[in-house]
Amino acid sequence: MPPETGAADGEIVRAVLAGDRERYAELVERYRDRYARYAARMLGSADAAEDAVQDAFVRAFDQLAQCKEPDKFVGWFFLILRNRCFAERRRSKSSASLEAAEGVAAADRTDGHTESNERRRALQLALLELTPDQREVFVLKHVEGLSYVEIAERLSTSVPSLKMRMHRAYDRLREQLREHA
Amino acid sequence: MSLLLALPLVVLAQQQGIAARLDGRVPATVAAVAESLGTAARARGLPIDPLIQKAIEGGAKGVPAERVSAALRLVVAQLDTAAAGLRAADVTPDTLAIAAGAFAITAGLNGGDVASIARSTSRADAALVVGLRVAGTLAALGVPPQQSADLVSATLASGRPATDLLALPGRVQAEMARGVPAAQAAAGLARAAAAAAAQGRHGPPPGRGQPPSHPTPPQHP
Amino acid sequence: MSGREFHPLVKQLLDGDITLAELPAELRAEGEEALALVGAVDRAPVSVPRVTWRVMAQLERRRQTRRMLPWLLAPALALAAALVLFLRPAAPPTNPSLVTVRFVLSAPDARAVSLAGTFNQWDSHATPLVRTGVSGVWTATVSLPPGQHQYVFVVDGVRWVPDPAAPAVDDGFGRRNSVLTL
Repeated sequence: MPPETGAADGEIVRAVLAGDRERYAELVERYRDRYARYAARMLGSADAAEDAVQDAFVRAFDQLAQCKEPDKFVGWFFLILRNRCFAERRRSKSSASLEAAEGVAAADRTDGHTESNERRRALQLALLELTPDQREVFVLKHVEGLSYVEIAERLSTSVPSLKMRMHRAYDRLREQLREHA
Repeated sequence: MSLLLALPLVVLAQQQGIAARLDGRVPATVAAVAESLGTAARARGLPIDPLIQKAIEGGAKGVPAERVSAALRLVVAQLDTAAAGLRAADVTPDTLAIAAGAFAITAGLNGGDVASIARSTSRADAALVVGLRVAGTLAALGVPPQQSADLVSATLASGRPATDLLALPGRVQAEMARGVPAAQAAAGLARAAAAAAAQGRHGPPPGRGQPPSHPTPPQHP
Repeated sequence: MSGREFHPLVKQLLDGDITLAELPAELRAEGEEALALVGAVDRAPVSVPRVTWRVMAQLERRRQTRRMLPWLLAPALALAAALVLFLRPAAPPTNPSLVTVRFVLSAPDARAVSLAGTFNQWDSHATPLVRTGVSGVWTATVSLPPGQHQYVFVVDGVRWVPDPAAPAVDDGFGRRNSVLTL
């Protein structure tokens, strides 16, 4: 069932382009948390994710006139956020990433299952050792729960090439986790 | 022009004594210090409005009287430094130029910087007042003080209008928002101003064209 | 198999193409290890509520900069008239020699925000900001004469904070004032 409140994305995009800037907040509210998780797993830190999502929304606003299909705003926005996350990862050093991963794994989890927390933390660290392409496909499938077909559509690529990336990711993760076991 | 600019503030200040303007706004001890410093400052041709403003600000912020008095002495010292800098450039300083110079000094410039800005126009006019304020604003943004002075001097020397000066902080901020360090952003603008002055071109500076129909960067961090 | 790479069938298991029961018996253990690995992934939601007002405040600040541009393109001759107007606070705000400036502060937890500065005799009650529709963003639109102004925001009547988006100088009392040069 569609939400009772809230206009369609395309309607909001057109209103913002027509000068009603305040309505952009509706799009930010709608998608910020959904995409923050992707960014947090890609960047290894909730703080870095917050910055990335903010930057991506500002950049999307700047380029909104170039959003050719306003009804597909979110897919277009995702690509902006993705570029931002990839650029961020190129800038950061691995030592900083490891610290950040500690933060993201330890900070938000207080459910008391020490062993599963430990496994979760180890996996997040291992994820940060993957290439961004490999990490992304893993995050989209196993965190966001998308199918290969959906991921292929989002990233404009083919299912076989995604599978190849993912299978390499599985092997590297296994290797990483064994090294650190 | 400069006389015209200075006139209203001077008239106002003379019509109302310093103590009267501060009445009820600051402790009596602060009013007395301001009156004493202000009377002497006026005798030296310095503006007293910055002094009164600082006293009012201290009172409003609830700053202890002793500390306000110390700040007032600092304001007078900055006014003196600015006036000396202007005179060193053979400029007969008016109160607005001195106040603008004192602001630049608050922001980190020194008397030599004020003099070098004044030399780039060689006369006390509205452009000099704007130039000094802009140099202070650039320093307040993080541009090294001497570089702020150089950029303003180069822009003044290029003969561009005061509006170009006023646009400088915004242009530096826009560059900073893209991740360019303040000093580097100012250096780039100074090179452009120097080149324009050398070639005698007075066309629109970069980034000053028709704005796009939809907002585009500068992106703030 | 080297023991470092998962068997292709195990990868199919992780991809969801086959089930654990469909794996040959000798691959079950590896399959369980692989499922445990993927099962450890952190799917906890991440909430970034501050992003909305941070984005909107950033857009507001830039609008403020752009709004000033038309005046900046106007002749500097406006300076003389504007200073006279400064002494007449009743001057209509639509007067072209005054500059319309929009002040913006993001303060989601504030109950009240006002503006104190050289243009209102540092009176923390004179210029209140209004909370906009967007959560936590406070704004005030003020007509100011050209010149150099210093100001701070007063949050909840007690906290004097400089504008995070503006240049700042020492106030002589150990704090900072924001600077606006028009």
